[in-house]
Amino acid sequence: MEITPESVAAAVTSVASARGKGTLPNLMAFGRALKQLGVKVSLSQIIDSSKAIDLVDIAERTDFRALLRANLISQKEDFPAFDMLFDCFWREQGYERMPMETMEIQGTPSDSQAQEGGDEEGGLEEAASESLPKENVPLENLDEFSVPTYSPQELMNRKDFSEMSVEESRAIARAILLIATKIATQISRRKKVARKGAAIDPRWTMRRSMKYGGEVIDLVRRKKRIKKTKVVLLCDVSGSMDCYSRFLIQFMYGLQNELWGVETFVFSTSLSRITHLIRTKDIVNALEKISGSILGWSGGTNIGRSLHTFNRSFAPSMLTHRTVVVIISDGWDRGDVSVLEREMQDLKRRAKKIIWLNPLLASENYEPLCKGMQAALPYLDMFLSVHNVNSLVSLGRTLQKMVA
Amino acid sequence: MNLQHLTIDKVQEILLAEKYVCDRALATVVYLSLSMGKPLLLEGEAGVGKTEIAKVLAKVLDAKLIRLQCYEGLDASTSLYEWNYPKQMLRIKLEEVEHGDKEKLETEIFTEEYLIKRPLLEAIQTDGANPPVLLIDEIDRADMEFEAFLLEVLSDFQITIPELGTIAAKHRPYVFLTSNRTREIHDALKRRCLYHWIEYPTFEKEYEIITTKFPAVENKMAQQICAFMQKVREMNFYKRPGVAETLDWASALIALNRKNLDDQTVIETMGCVFKYREDLHHLRDQVEGRQLNIDQLLRASPELVS
Repeated sequence: MEITPESVAAAVTSVASARGKGTLPNLMAFGRALKQLGVKVSLSQIIDSSKAIDLVDIAERTDFRALLRANLISQKEDFPAFDMLFDCFWREQGYERMPMETMEIQGTPSDSQAQEGGDEEGGLEEAASESLPKENVPLENLDEFSVPTYSPQELMNRKDFSEMSVEESRAIARAILLIATKIATQISRRKKVARKGAAIDPRWTMRRSMKYGGEVIDLVRRKKRIKKTKVVLLCDVSGSMDCYSRFLIQFMYGLQNELWGVETFVFSTSLSRITHLIRTKDIVNALEKISGSILGWSGGTNIGRSLHTFNRSFAPSMLTHRTVVVIISDGWDRGDVSVLEREMQDLKRRAKKIIWLNPLLASENYEPLCKGMQAALPYLDMFLSVHNVNSLVSLGRTLQKMVA
Repeated sequence: MNLQHLTIDKVQEILLAEKYVCDRALATVVYLSLSMGKPLLLEGEAGVGKTEIAKVLAKVLDAKLIRLQCYEGLDASTSLYEWNYPKQMLRIKLEEVEHGDKEKLETEIFTEEYLIKRPLLEAIQTDGANPPVLLIDEIDRADMEFEAFLLEVLSDFQITIPELGTIAAKHRPYVFLTSNRTREIHDALKRRCLYHWIEYPTFEKEYEIITTKFPAVENKMAQQICAFMQKVREMNFYKRPGVAETLDWASALIALNRKNLDDQTVIETMGCVFKYREDLHHLRDQVEGRQLNIDQLLRASPELVS
């Protein structure tokens, strides 16, 4: 949900009836208003804040703010929403007149409200699961898919994403699932005990030998375990990519919902983080939310500037030596090419691998001649085409080789 | 240190006495954490003093500091306890030679003497007048599995060792967690903690930090250093310098006996602030191209204290 003065005011108004005398009802109402703004708050956090209020002189507004913030908010990104709501909520209440007595924590209001909150969430989930089955991809079909055998499949495989119907997109979803698992597996330094491992695990060998009175009979071996990589997905949603937008959405979904640790961004002239928007499984709703909240959907492209924003604001905390960055774009860039080049260089240094997926690469007369694409090329670990299901399958194979 | 009479002002005061400058919000959170016995999760860019605050607190509370540095692959046997297998083996071999009592041996090799205590168990077992300070550093480096395990320990503060029984904490340790945000911490763990984000310091705060740590530093110099740091943090560097770098640099400048910042001094000593070759190049270009004008630094900084 977008945080505007209006939405904050609306949240305050909507919980007005829940407010009453005493600290706890007010805190509960505050928590609900926060929830409306999309901030996750649990009952235990609210109870803890009410305990904390006894410890601090809450007539001191800055202390009161710090107190609530420390208890209720658990990520920096939620600070702006909190601050706006705090100002709005506790001003309207007449902060100075706020009753200072704290209520019994075991009292019924908390219980009944928690019940209500729970019900609401349950309802939402139900609604979401109803619309889910269509997009849901059964895992067991995975193997079946990678061997294209008969003609309807063939036909679809060659068809461009730009002319694909909703039903056909399920096949894409399956292919993406396959790719997702390939991107995400990587060898770890951490080892596990294994029968056929290369190295001997002295500690376990010792331990096992104890049952034979200390004579070493079994050698316990260990091998490196497979480890999940993090994936950062940067999607171009500018006008030139319009015909692929269905595919893009699907791709973002597939990755985000099948893998742990995926961060998703879209960019055109500027960059937006949409990880939280597509975390739900309800694809139709999310599509509306995304296109509604993102500036410049179907607009111009400035890859350099978008990458700059990413490198500056998100990369330090999101990229590690295990992160694979996947960029999906046609490379048509109207921004400054030197900026793009510098940012690619920066990105290259931070990430484990950069994979660029280009839908145009497939058309026979396409060469990556546009300046943006050329500037980026030297920094890519992989430059691949994604334009139909076949290309997705081959992408899956390539990725498998890469991590093996 | 008696916690009963603790107030927010008092927290700020005792931290300052140990030369840790903290703003009101941080002091409030620390105060709450100590009073409520709730773990405190500190996040922020590298080098803003997340780890330092736990160290300083341990000192002022006269408590034992137990530090658990997280890394990939950290698990229960390296964070909680482990039986000392080699020692047990040796003992068994020895008994074999001497034909000792088998049953007695069995009970004896599973006693505390043969237990290697790792930080979490140590934190729970510490006796003494004051509860220990448990610092779980860079939790984001550990795996998700470890987080789940930690959640369990942090909620009960007791550990069950099958051979020995349950060990409950005598004092609830003061727990501080830090994270550099290379990945998100799980909600369940976050919910159990108070949360605070430590920002890069403002000009005034950084000035206060420098003058507190180095009373000998010249006023003008300290201001120049702060203005410089504020400026470079706004610029596009791969690794933005934190307070730790500021202090390193300040102490280097003092050691070199410099009284004034100029282009030459900055370029010579920049190794204290920037640790990447590209950043050093970038800085040199900026200074030589006059985009970053060292002489103008003080004049450009409006919030300068005179």
